[in-house]
Amino acid sequence: MAPAPSKLYADDVSLVVVLLDTNPFFWSSSSLSFSQFLSHVLAFFNAILTLNQLNQVVVIATGYNSCDYIFDSSSDLNRSFENGRMPVMCSSLLQKLEEFLIKDEQFSKEEPDGRIKSSLLSGSLSMALCYIQRVFRSGALHPHPRILCLQGSPDGPEQYVAIMNAIFSAQHSLVPIDSCYIGAQNSAFLQQASYITGGVHHKPQNLDGLFQYLMTIFATDLHSRSFLNLPKPVGVDFRASCFCHKDTIDMGYICSVCLSIFCKHHKKCSTCGSVFGQAQSEVASASDKKRKTPET
Amino acid sequence: MPQVKIIAKNFMDMVASLPAIKLDILYHNQFICEAILRSMPPLAKKYVLQMLYIDVPMTFKSLQEWVLADGSSKHQVAIDRLIQLRVLEVIDRKKETTYKLKPTFQTNLRKHLIYGGILSREPMPSNVVARLPTLEELDAYAHEQWECFLLQLISSGQAERSSSFSSSMMRIFQRGLLRQRDKEAPRLTESGFQFLLMDTNAQLWYIIREYISNSEEQGVDQADLIAFLLELSFHTTGEAYNLNTLADDQEAMIKDLADLGLVKLQQGRRERWFIPTKLATNLSVSLTDSSSRKQGFVVVETNFRMYAYSSSKLHCEILRLFSRVEYQLPNLIVGAITKESLYNAFENGITAEQIRLWETDLNRVEMTPAHFYDEFSSRDIFESASDFARVHGGLLWEDAKKMQMAVKAEIHMLMREHLRGNK
Repeated sequence: MAPAPSKLYADDVSLVVVLLDTNPFFWSSSSLSFSQFLSHVLAFFNAILTLNQLNQVVVIATGYNSCDYIFDSSSDLNRSFENGRMPVMCSSLLQKLEEFLIKDEQFSKEEPDGRIKSSLLSGSLSMALCYIQRVFRSGALHPHPRILCLQGSPDGPEQYVAIMNAIFSAQHSLVPIDSCYIGAQNSAFLQQASYITGGVHHKPQNLDGLFQYLMTIFATDLHSRSFLNLPKPVGVDFRASCFCHKDTIDMGYICSVCLSIFCKHHKKCSTCGSVFGQAQSEVASASDKKRKTPET
Repeated sequence: MPQVKIIAKNFMDMVASLPAIKLDILYHNQFICEAILRSMPPLAKKYVLQMLYIDVPMTFKSLQEWVLADGSSKHQVAIDRLIQLRVLEVIDRKKETTYKLKPTFQTNLRKHLIYGGILSREPMPSNVVARLPTLEELDAYAHEQWECFLLQLISSGQAERSSSFSSSMMRIFQRGLLRQRDKEAPRLTESGFQFLLMDTNAQLWYIIREYISNSEEQGVDQADLIAFLLELSFHTTGEAYNLNTLADDQEAMIKDLADLGLVKLQQGRRERWFIPTKLATNLSVSLTDSSSRKQGFVVVETNFRMYAYSSSKLHCEILRLFSRVEYQLPNLIVGAITKESLYNAFENGITAEQIRLWETDLNRVEMTPAHFYDEFSSRDIFESASDFARVHGGLLWEDAKKMQMAVKAEIHMLMREHLRGNK
């Protein structure tokens, strides 16, 4: 659905939906402590709200098992809080965050070893997009929304399909996804998300100065981005995950009907049910040998 | 017609023109820092936040690296604005100029971001104040006060009650908006008409700007008034604040603000208080370029009949300026845009940019008194007459084949002399 006209606002009004990574497996081994992280992030939220009276910040926590809304600056409770904004925001947000973390832990169950301890990014992305759709359809005047992922957890290949669907949905609604990755390696999902939707991706070098990175890059409103020198995408990892095992692959088989990706030859597509013809597979097994040879 | 634009968004220019010492005092107040930050162009806001935690001066070149080639003009506008507001200090070194945020501003904005600002004034507890108006009642009150003021501004006879503004104060507001010829009722000028078409916040800032400019003559400090207004915009709509928390000159100003609809004054058994309305708390929104957000409720048909869904006296007056109001129902004003009503508007100085309909009609046919000459006896006489007319700037039209021409009436006598002379 095309976004409702938002041009009636002054150019630099922002609506930012922030996805906050609260995955305890990541935070327990991170060099930056969660409380230090929060102090940078809360000041950043306050800065966004200071920039313009009409700016809005919505925070969704990305947990290990679940996601939930933990803060909305435009809600009735928070609405008239120009006076003493920071104390009110901090207490409200932190309380909700604590409640969420307790609930998230209760969902935990026995898991096979070796599973990558990723956070439920697909869930929070979907929630963010639903919130944004509601804003579009409310008919009220609204600033153009964007999503900001503050993520440290590694990518979970089993979420590949859901995340790609969310990314394309965001792209279709013209919602940029910014991403700030504070984990150890790289996140291919986040790089792809920002690249495809026209957002900004950055991995800060020095986490002590996280606030400065947030202010310089991620506080930029959508209008000013065409004038400012922001980090450009360099070497985006476009590798896909196969639908059958959720492994990351460089080369594979694709169903010509629904474009599902498989690492091994199958008789039938598991997504759309199309039958892959016998003749194809015979031809395939001959050239399989060629394809299976890894190209280094 | 000359394009006179009412400059309503230049409140910040007024702030910027305050002497440096006064501006420094203003920047001790966290809320004023925030209001001023909000009034800046978008790039300037970004630069302030980026430089907030940088303690060393930055060179002009490094600032320029922040912006792409496309944005260099906006970059310059932003830097100039920051320097004008004295938020950015320029340190001239021998090699190159460097910039640094003004320390007072920097410290206070940092505090504001980390700890959040708390106003010096607390709302009164609910057991002391009587029943406070609901937000809807307050909105209606503000709207009514403001309309009444505007009505009095443009046509003193129409207002139901007069405000506490002195007639000299009203005249200052009306300066530039109304024009008075001898023995005539004051009429709206072109600027006045533009003023009426601006949105409420822009109009409000215009009036307040005039009010503040005039305050120096009354012996009130401009900077104090500006600080009070900026702080007022951060109060909570609908909450009661005790009048005894105001300084003397602020208390004098409060009464005027009540007339404009910015606050509502109430009193209980022992206490008196003021309640900020939405007009007050939205002040900082309009400090920058604000686009009009009024919903349309006027329908104009192709047969020039007009239907305005409004019960406001002010709207009726504005419509009367350029249309013939036929009848008024409780929620509808019906009128027609006629030639006569438009000529009336043009006479008042309302330009065609605002009403395009009949301007072209007015200009389509131009009448010049003239004489028509025919039946020249010879071509030579015709040509000499035509040259004569042309030399005297009176030739309006000629047809060489038929030997006819039209000449301005002014030179008719001269032409006659000339033709007689030729014969």
